[in-house]
Amino acid sequence: MLNRLYRWLDLRYGIGEIAEKELTGYLLPRNINEWYSLGSVLLVIFAIQVVTGMLLMIYYVPDADKAFKSVSFIMNEVPFGWFIRLCHAVGSNMMVAVLLMHMLSTLMMGSYKAPRELNWVTGFTLFALVQGISLTGYLAPWSQLSFWATTVATNSVSAIPVLGPTLVEFLRGGKLVGPATLGRFFALHAAVLPVVIAAFIGAHLFFLKRTGISAPPFGRDETANPFEAREYHYQGHPGGIPFFPNYALQDLSSISIYFAVFLAVVFFWPNMPFTPDAFVPADPFKTPAHIKPEWYFLANYQTLKIFPSELLGLSVQAAAMTFLALLPFIDRSPERHPLKRPLFLTLAIAGILLWIALSVWGHLS
Amino acid sequence: MENEGRRKFLGVCVAGCTVAAAAAAGYPVLRYLAPRSGQGGAAKLVIPAGELKEGDAKFFEFAGSSAVLIKTSSGQLVALSAVCTHLGCIVQWVKEKQQFLCPCHGGQFSTDGTVLGGPPPRPLAKIPFTVTEGNITIG
Repeated sequence: MLNRLYRWLDLRYGIGEIAEKELTGYLLPRNINEWYSLGSVLLVIFAIQVVTGMLLMIYYVPDADKAFKSVSFIMNEVPFGWFIRLCHAVGSNMMVAVLLMHMLSTLMMGSYKAPRELNWVTGFTLFALVQGISLTGYLAPWSQLSFWATTVATNSVSAIPVLGPTLVEFLRGGKLVGPATLGRFFALHAAVLPVVIAAFIGAHLFFLKRTGISAPPFGRDETANPFEAREYHYQGHPGGIPFFPNYALQDLSSISIYFAVFLAVVFFWPNMPFTPDAFVPADPFKTPAHIKPEWYFLANYQTLKIFPSELLGLSVQAAAMTFLALLPFIDRSPERHPLKRPLFLTLAIAGILLWIALSVWGHLS
Repeated sequence: MENEGRRKFLGVCVAGCTVAAAAAAGYPVLRYLAPRSGQGGAAKLVIPAGELKEGDAKFFEFAGSSAVLIKTSSGQLVALSAVCTHLGCIVQWVKEKQQFLCPCHGGQFSTDGTVLGGPPPRPLAKIPFTVTEGNITIG
């Protein structure tokens, strides 16, 4: 039956040719490793976020008076509503975590280097957009946690000289976080950002297809493949392993491992994405004690607390982010093996340790 | 050849797991989307008899659908489903003629729900009720 359908389609649209080119005939480097499958995991996560988000919209009401109630209704009354909501909330945390791992592997294997600068830049933009969609989604339940986290996050923009206060007001749609903020954040979260993210994923994959997969700089059949910017060149891997079924199975394994971790959190650690403030409706007149952002913003939060001036704190962060975004244009040596790049490795490890230290400090303080 | 058999077996295992996973994910989604059971109004509804004058009709929601209670000019009480049996519009009460008119395709029903004209294939469904101490209990 499936065979006949395949033959029918192949006769008309040449499906076999595409399968040959993109699946069985699409060869990957022989020494490709597990880290390369994180991109596929992220695609699956994004799909889950989109589907669960659409499902949540059936019962969620983006109105300051009703939002908290509608979320409680989803959690307590709708069959499996808790499941859909937790998948969405846990999924957003996992998306940031897997994204960080994906970036880390790219850094360590030097895959961001020429000719893949734009792969890195689009990926970095996706990282920023994911943080944006997490922040805007955070406000949706209209809990104390949502309300004050958004107050603090939007307030940091006010440190920008001259324009700051106007910008904050523009972001919030008013002097304070209020119903107007919920309206614009919901529109950003559910309509604008998903489309922008999907577009950037498209661009990211387009660049990946055009340059070809980079070979890892270590392991079996290590290849030196210096890029010279003379003419366009697709990096093929003659004698490599086919994407289907070989690497597709690796993708499937990684996705299965991801699901095991993801569902373990959903079922056994359901309050992971929440603090007690997440269960109290927003009260604009009562700031809860010790309000803290999500774990992935803790380092930023702590940085702002360390620096005496908010502007200085923000500038340092902006500088660090810009440095990371432009890394392929700064680090131009063709060497990709991490152990042969001592300066890079030292800086990378120091940076990661600093980030972890700031996050822990932010969590404990 | 042995290898071929092993490949096939593993393929079947992967397909089986995929189907099981899809079912495990699909069931909660279906339940989530299904209409909430037990919603759509109480099983019984009490209307004070004094609310209704002779010749008048009172429309209300009953068991998740529209219903109507009328007191004919002869003082008789009738409770009917207000959903036209043709294509499901809600019938209107025409007080002067003492009959129901469906505005969608011109179906006409008498006070006891019998079809008087138009396309409806069946009379309006009757709803049981009891009258006790000036209260009309529907259902």
